[in-house]
Amino acid sequence: MAKFLVRRLVLFILALMGISLLIFLALRILPGDVAAVMAGLDAPPARVDRLRRQMGLDRSYPRQYLDWISGFLQGDLGRSILTNRPIASQVGVRAQITFPLILLGLGVALLLGIPLGCAAALARSPRMQSFSHMAAIVGGSVPALWSGLLLIMLFAKGSGLIGLLPSQGFPAFGWAQPGQALSALILPALSTGIIVGAGIMRYTRSLLGDMLSSGYVDMGMACGMTRTQAALRIGLRLASPQLVSVIGLTMAEMITGVMVSENLFALPGLGSMLITDVGNRDLPAVQSELLLLAAFFLFLGLLVDVIHRLIDPRFRGAARQEVAA
Amino acid sequence: MRVVLSSMWRTASGRYSMTVLAIWILVSLISRFWTPVPIWTTDGYRIWQAPSRAHLLGTDGTGADILSWLMAGSATNLAISLLAVLLSGVLGLLLVMAMVSRRSGVSQTVVVLVDALISLPTVLLALILAVPLGPSIAVVVVACGFGYGLNLARIVRPQALLAAESDYVQSARHSGVGSFRIFLTHLVPNVIPVLCVQLSMSAGTSVLAEAGLTYLGVGVPSGLPSWGHSLTTSVKFINVFPLTVLWPGLAVTMVVVALNLFGDALRDAIDPVTNPRLRAAVAAAGRSTLQSGQSDDSGHHVENAIHTGEGDQSCR
Repeated sequence: MAKFLVRRLVLFILALMGISLLIFLALRILPGDVAAVMAGLDAPPARVDRLRRQMGLDRSYPRQYLDWISGFLQGDLGRSILTNRPIASQVGVRAQITFPLILLGLGVALLLGIPLGCAAALARSPRMQSFSHMAAIVGGSVPALWSGLLLIMLFAKGSGLIGLLPSQGFPAFGWAQPGQALSALILPALSTGIIVGAGIMRYTRSLLGDMLSSGYVDMGMACGMTRTQAALRIGLRLASPQLVSVIGLTMAEMITGVMVSENLFALPGLGSMLITDVGNRDLPAVQSELLLLAAFFLFLGLLVDVIHRLIDPRFRGAARQEVAA
Repeated sequence: MRVVLSSMWRTASGRYSMTVLAIWILVSLISRFWTPVPIWTTDGYRIWQAPSRAHLLGTDGTGADILSWLMAGSATNLAISLLAVLLSGVLGLLLVMAMVSRRSGVSQTVVVLVDALISLPTVLLALILAVPLGPSIAVVVVACGFGYGLNLARIVRPQALLAAESDYVQSARHSGVGSFRIFLTHLVPNVIPVLCVQLSMSAGTSVLAEAGLTYLGVGVPSGLPSWGHSLTTSVKFINVFPLTVLWPGLAVTMVVVALNLFGDALRDAIDPVTNPRLRAAVAAAGRSTLQSGQSDDSGHHVENAIHTGEGDQSCR
């Protein structure tokens, strides 16, 4: 395990370095002079030069990269070109919306996906089986924007059919009033959670289905459990390592949903901040925010691998072996 | 090929997916030459019209015909899907080729690289590209192609490894066949079922990605018709004109469902283990080629199909 952890940590650091380089180079080498765009059309060359100096674009690439990374590691994400305010403080405020939203969405996805997936796998009638299969596929085929819109049409306060929940904005006082803050996040979390949950449901169904025909469940039934008990106690436990890695992969998909719902529901989170900064081509802000989000998802990947390793009985006491994905 | 298609047609989901995809392609082709109302025709006196005979799905906020924009958008989405799938297929196969390479330095490096990058969300990649490039179709295609290519490589690798260690690949190698040729003639046919499912699902995901990225302002640039734009323009007026939201969402959902089902149906139909009709056809064709002693086009297909079967059995 220790060896695995070290190896995985090295991989994490390598990936982070690789991605920081990718972000840096993509923003520098690809065509399109950011300073010229920011200065505006027909800007005098002097102004473009000044902007370029201000952004540090006149220094050599290795120097720029080192400046950025060393600052980043010390928690200094740079200053926004537009507002000249430190990016780190902004990010801190906005993360208080985005991270709860991601967790809430994941909660919705798991609460929907795993029980429904189990029910679908255990269903005996072929009609029920094909219905649940179709439900999972359709649920996973809905654009994130559309699910949010449909939820607004149904549940938004004021305009929806059943006016229940706020659909725009986040309370200005934030988490000081948890109830209101939470209710502002429910619809956005539902709109991404349903989509991701459909994917998890599909995988749960097929993994548990495999387990049902594997003989392990028969063994449990021979020991006196009912089919459902055997499937849930033995089958689900055996399938859980693979389920964890699937959940890890779907998390990466979740960020699209979160970005779209932050914009749709007018939540001032990290996602909408990033989109605004990309639109403004605020180079220092964009590169730091991108690296931060990428680091978050790489960390999730690391976490999933570690959990996978911890709960997979095949690794208990066994020497390092490679699993065919 | 005909057996595969007709087997697919026999299942309800295969029928649905083939029908929807055929309509998608047909509408895309037609929209290049004709739409009910030319898409650039706007009429300030006829904004937000309810569906009528002149405008079957009504008009939007600029008085443009919603149906015409949806039709024109289908062509953009089709092109994006095809390009993204092509890119991810090529990239994925190249990565797999490197991953099963005999030189362990190369294969190890690529495995580590794919593992490291795979948890990077597509949308972040698209945002990285969007800063220098601005909103463009290339951003969607490259981000999707790159992301799905990594996924493809990871999913296909176990099967390709199994095939690479099989006896026929060993014997081919010993008789001096180059590794690139071995890859094309032995490994690729072996992974075709997985490849098809994955590419088909990637095509679906790219349609969804287009909608999301375009809404976020980094996808298809404004002015070009696409389903993402149709959805986006309807967002602002959702409370007033909810119907305009329904159509583009329905189009996207129907096509993505069709692509997902198409992948599933294709996997069942292309695999001789699960498709008895294909097995029978392969056996019959194999007999006739053996008798005539010549390897014509169908003979080549048989060879592929048999490899496919072998790969699948060995992994069970």
